[in-house]
Amino acid sequence: MLKNKLNTRLFVTFSLATLLILNCFSATWDVPADQKEKKSYIKFDKQTSSQGEVLYNANCASCHGNPGKNNILKSLNPIPPDLSGKSSQALSDGDLQYILNTGRGLMPNFKNVISAEDQWKVISYLRGFNPNYVQELSKFDPNKSKLVKLTAKFDSKANILTVMALADEKSGKIPIIKAEIAVFVKRYFGNMQIEKTVLTDNFGKAQVVFPKDLPGNKTGDLEVLVKLFDENYGEVQTTNKLAIGVPTDKPALNEKRAIWNVLAKAPIWTLSLYLLGVFAFILLLLYLLNNLRKLYNSKTI
Amino acid sequence: MLTQLKIEKITSDLLKPIRLTKSFLIWMGFLGASLLVCLFAYFLQLRDGMVVTGLGDYVSWGMYISNFVFFVATSLIGMLISAVLSLSGQKWATPLARIAEIIALAFAAVAGLVIIMDMGRPERLLNVFIHGRIQSPIVWDVTVVTIYVLVSTLFLYIPLIPDLKICSEKLEKLPPFARNLYKFLSLNWNNTIEQKKLIKDSTRVLAIFIIPIALAIHTVTSWLFANTSRAGWDSTIFGPYFVSGAFVSGCAAVIIAMYFFQKNYKLQDYITDFHFNKIGQLLALVSLVYLYFNLNEYMVPGYKMKLAEAKHLKELFSGSHALLFWSTQLLGLIIPIILLLFKKMRKSGPLLIIAAFVLIGSWFKRYIIVFPTMEHPFLPIQNVPLNFKIYTPTLVEILVTIAPMILVLIIITILSKIIPIIPIHETIEQLEELEENKK
Repeated sequence: MLKNKLNTRLFVTFSLATLLILNCFSATWDVPADQKEKKSYIKFDKQTSSQGEVLYNANCASCHGNPGKNNILKSLNPIPPDLSGKSSQALSDGDLQYILNTGRGLMPNFKNVISAEDQWKVISYLRGFNPNYVQELSKFDPNKSKLVKLTAKFDSKANILTVMALADEKSGKIPIIKAEIAVFVKRYFGNMQIEKTVLTDNFGKAQVVFPKDLPGNKTGDLEVLVKLFDENYGEVQTTNKLAIGVPTDKPALNEKRAIWNVLAKAPIWTLSLYLLGVFAFILLLLYLLNNLRKLYNSKTI
Repeated sequence: MLTQLKIEKITSDLLKPIRLTKSFLIWMGFLGASLLVCLFAYFLQLRDGMVVTGLGDYVSWGMYISNFVFFVATSLIGMLISAVLSLSGQKWATPLARIAEIIALAFAAVAGLVIIMDMGRPERLLNVFIHGRIQSPIVWDVTVVTIYVLVSTLFLYIPLIPDLKICSEKLEKLPPFARNLYKFLSLNWNNTIEQKKLIKDSTRVLAIFIIPIALAIHTVTSWLFANTSRAGWDSTIFGPYFVSGAFVSGCAAVIIAMYFFQKNYKLQDYITDFHFNKIGQLLALVSLVYLYFNLNEYMVPGYKMKLAEAKHLKELFSGSHALLFWSTQLLGLIIPIILLLFKKMRKSGPLLIIAAFVLIGSWFKRYIIVFPTMEHPFLPIQNVPLNFKIYTPTLVEILVTIAPMILVLIIITILSKIIPIIPIHETIEQLEELEENKK
C-alpha cells in the first residue's frame, strides 16, 4: 500500500517535472494576443538599425551570435536560435518584444534593462536581415509621453514611496489609471527593482514599500528611478536622489596604496625596495667608473 | 729565463686564435644565412601579426617565453663560475672565467630581444617605460636584466684590460684602427702596482655584487610565473627552482663552448682533461640540486592533487605531455646525473654529448613549465575551437625561436675572435706565483 502510494507520488512528480521542462523548452512562445499585435512607434531606418546593432552586440550576441554568422553559443540547451533565421523572422514585432520582456529558461528578460524604445531599435536591427519585411507603424504618438508628470514622495515613518502619475492634457491634469509603476535603486552594476511592479489606482497613485537596510552613499543618498509604462502614454521615467539609505563609507579599493594600484599609489615597501636596488646599482657603477678613471690617469710605472 | 720563454709561449698560444681564418668565415657565413632565414620568419610575424604563431588568447605564452627563460637561465653561469668559484678560491676555474662571462653576456643581451619577439606590437615596449608600474614584476625584470647586461659587460671588460694592452702590442697584421681601438680600450695599462690593485679591487667588488644581481634576474623571472595564480606556477620555491635550473643549463653551455674552443683554437694545454673533469663534477652537483628542487616542485602539489593542479599534473605525468615531460626529465637530468658520477664520462668527448643532452633538456624543461599551465587555467576554456585550447607552435614560430640562438652563437664567435678567450694576464700571473713558490 505504502509502496503504491510512493510510486504514485513519484509518477506525479516525474510527470510534472517533464511537463515543466517541456513547457520551458517548447519551440513556440505563448504570446498574448494583445502583445502579439503591438507595433513599434519608431520608424525602422538605418539609424535605428545601427543603434540597435550596438545594443544587440552588448546584450544578445554572447548567446545568439552575430545574425547569419553561425557563431551561436551551441553549448546551451536549448541552442539559442539565429535571430536572422526564418523561424525568428516569422514572429511579429510584438512577439519579439514580448520575448525580450518575458524571458524564459536561460534567456533573461530585458524588461528593466533595455527601455522600450531601445528594444524597438534592436528589433529594427534584426529586421534588417529580412528583405521581405515591411514595417507597420503603431498609432501611438510618442509626444504623449511628454505630457506625463511623475512625482515621488517618501514617507520615512512608514517607509513608503508614493508615486503620483498625472497627465497634462488640454482638459486639465488627469490621473493616469492602471499604469505600470516600477521603482528601482541604482546599484554598481545596473538597477535593482524594489518590490514588484504595481498599477496606479483611480487617482494615479501607486505605493511601494521600501526596505530599511539599503546601503547608500556617505550621506545615505540613494538614486531612485521611477518608471511608468502605460498603453496611451508610453514609457516615462524620473530619477530622484533621496536620503533614505543607510550611510555607508567604504573606501574604494583603489583609494589607498596597494600593489594593484597605479604607480603614484604604489606601496611604500615596493617603492623603497625597488629604488634602493637601483640606487645601490648606481653606486656600484660610479665606483667602477671612478676606478677606471684612476686607471686611465695613472701613468707612472 | 725559463719563465720568460713560457710567458712568450703562453702569449702567442692564446693570441693565435685572434685572426681571420677560412673556417671562421665559413662558420659565420652559415650563421648569417641561417639568421636571415629566421629573420624572414620574424618579418612575416611583424607583417601579419601573432596569428602566424600558435599563440592565442588562452595559450599566450609559448615557445618565445620558454626561450626567454632559457636565455636568462643560461646567462647565470657567468656569476657561478667567475664570481662564486673565484671568491671561494677555486683556481681551476680561472681559464674558464672568460668563456663563462662571454656566454653570460651574449645570453643576457639577447634575452631582452627574445621578449620583444613575443610582442605582436614591439613598438609598445616603450609603454613599459612610460606607463610601467613599480609593483609589476615585468618592470622589475626589465630593470634587473638591463642591470645584469651592464654589469656583465663590465665584468668581462675590467679583467680584460691588461689583455687588451697585450693585444695592441703583440698582435701581428693588425689594421691600425684595430690596434688603436685595443690601445684606447686598454686605458693606459702599464702593469703598475696601483693599476693592478685597481683591477683587483674592481673585479672583487664586481664578483661580490654580481651574485645578488644574477640571483635577482632569475628570481624575478620566476616571479613572472609564481606571482600569477595558476596551476603549476603557484609555487613558493620557484625562485631557487629556477636559479638551480639555470646553473644546469649554464654549465652545459660552458662545457660545449669549452670543447669547441679547445679543439678549434688549439688550446689543449690550457683547457685540459682536468678542467673537463672538474666542470663535469660541477654539472653533476648543480644537476643534483636541481633534481632535488624538481622533486619538491612536483611532489607537494602531486600529493594534494588540488583540482586544477591535478588536471595539470595528470597531463604532464600520463597525459598528452607525458612523452615530452619524461624524456626531458630522464634524458636531460636523471640519466646525465648517473653518467656524470663516473670519471670516464667526465672526459671531453662523452662530457660534450652529456652536456648537449642537458642543454637541450634545459630548453624543453622551460617549455613544459610554460605552456601546459596556460592550457589549464582555473576557469575552464569553453566554446572555442580545439586549436585555441591546445598549443601547437608553427614553423614561423620555431624559426623565430631559433633566431636568438643563432644570434648568441654569432656574438660568442665574434667575441672569441677579438679577445683572448683564456685570460693571458691572469694565466701568466698564476705561473709567476707558482715559480715564486718554488723558489
